Amino acid sequence: MTNSAPWVGSAAVLLAAALMFAGPASAALTDGDNACLGCHGQEGLQKTFGKGESLPLRVDGAAFEGSVHAPLGCAACHSDVELKTHPAAGKSFDSVRAYSVAKAAVCEQCHEDAFKQHEGSVHAKRMREGSALAPTCTGCHGAHAVTPKTAYQTCVGCHSAALAAHQQWLPNAALHHEVVSCAACHAPAALRMVDLRLHDPATKTWAAEKAGEPWFEKLARSVDANGNGLDARELLDLVKRINPAGSAAPKAFRGRIELRSNVEAHRLSDKAAAIRACDVCHREGAEPFRNVVVSVAGPDGRPLRHAAQQEILGAASAVVSLPEFYAIGGTRSPLLDVLFVVALLGGAGFPLGHMAVRWLFRKYRASRE
Amino acid sequence: MTDMQRIYVHPLPVRIWHWANALGFIALILTGVQIRYVDLIGLMSFRAAVSLHNWVGWVLVGNFFIWLGFYLFTDKIRVYHPELSPVKHFRDSFRQLQYYGYGIFKGDPNPHHLSAYHKFNALQSMAYQIIMLLLVPLQFVTGVLLWDLKRFSGAVEFFGGVRVVDTVHVLLFIFFTAFILVHPYLASLGHTPSAHFKAMITGYEEVDE
Repeated sequence: MTNSAPWVGSAAVLLAAALMFAGPASAALTDGDNACLGCHGQEGLQKTFGKGESLPLRVDGAAFEGSVHAPLGCAACHSDVELKTHPAAGKSFDSVRAYSVAKAAVCEQCHEDAFKQHEGSVHAKRMREGSALAPTCTGCHGAHAVTPKTAYQTCVGCHSAALAAHQQWLPNAALHHEVVSCAACHAPAALRMVDLRLHDPATKTWAAEKAGEPWFEKLARSVDANGNGLDARELLDLVKRINPAGSAAPKAFRGRIELRSNVEAHRLSDKAAAIRACDVCHREGAEPFRNVVVSVAGPDGRPLRHAAQQEILGAASAVVSLPEFYAIGGTRSPLLDVLFVVALLGGAGFPLGHMAVRWLFRKYRASRE
Repeated sequence: MTDMQRIYVHPLPVRIWHWANALGFIALILTGVQIRYVDLIGLMSFRAAVSLHNWVGWVLVGNFFIWLGFYLFTDKIRVYHPELSPVKHFRDSFRQLQYYGYGIFKGDPNPHHLSAYHKFNALQSMAYQIIMLLLVPLQFVTGVLLWDLKRFSGAVEFFGGVRVVDTVHVLLFIFFTAFILVHPYLASLGHTPSAHFKAMITGYEEVDE
């Protein structure tokens, strides 16, 4: 008989414990992940830090299964865990905060670009200054239930008074909060775009693809025959195909101002540097309106996008193809501009012309009096 | 020159409504142009234009009800009574068009004879009923919806979406811009260029004996 390596005993104990406490294992997760959840799925499991703070170690298995990180498994982020010594050899931290700050390095391993952007953000600055409130990665994104939440859902988690503060100075503040990503103004250096998302009035939610039933990109590609982004006619065609004749509650695209790259959303500025000038967006040809996409929510909540041409926003057909999207300046219609000029010329031209003819007839009138 | 008789045609509430409406419409057009063409015009900041546009809009909504209330609760509403004979209405309208397009140049008399209860010619009568009972209320309704799209999202949806509401608002803005340019000119075609302007201040029009 040969002696086993010392960690084999620890691993066996862990596995036995996992099997003993485990609830029903998730078929979507690996055996290894289910083994971790065998213990970490239990209520009451917690770690106590140096200052006496405790961190719950329970992981909601269902939430993790639904997270964007589920396919990576536990070990991807917790590679420092040595099965042979776990849990006894866990690193020691003074506080939960210190643990969260240290764990951000794990996120950086995959999200290096976002991390670099974050380094220049007001959140990172506050953190360097020693603020205990400045969020770490998990402060905004959560730890084990990372899902593609909207920026608004993420931000108001802490900035709950944001709407009231904006209502002090921003016209239609509630609407702005609904259709403009927080980062579109609070990451002023980032590039923005118009994301025309398909909305389903029947469910009052964003239209979404079901897993295993892709249709949107296929349909958009078939309509966008030359592949240069949807033009006004192609968008109209797409809308008609999405809503066959007689649709009781036709789906419609609703516009949102988003960042072109979510990575740039991490470079959030101090609010003093945030965009407050309305005409950054509300002018013809404004930067956010030069980049347009149409989208639906994918099965995991992340948008599935197809490019569209800028001209669709102001096209006359937008009354039919984009009835639920309009932004002052950004979606200005050239046809209405022409009508306005005609009205100005006609409004000024009629009196001038009429006066001129009266002047020409002045002698004739005088001769009759 | 023939003797002129003074008749009281424009009661005080109508004059107050008229001039408030005129100033308000000019303010709404200027701020509307500033809002819509911020990249071309710099009369004021976008935010100031939006704020002023909203305030003036509400004042004019209130002002509209002064006009409506005055005519609903006085016998002066007779000035808006439609001509029930289509033949007569179109004959009078044609005569009026003929006058503005031809007779006025030759020095023909205005075919419309003004009186206290008959202050509009056939063209004005039809135009002002359409403007005051359809176009102005429609402009106010679309303006109020655009003022707070979230609050009125149900109504916006009912009208076919924000793009439809905005397009109607802008089309009417274009119409009123042309109107505000043509209206003073037509008002200058009285027996003297300033006669109708003075009348809209004093209330008294001067008509031939």
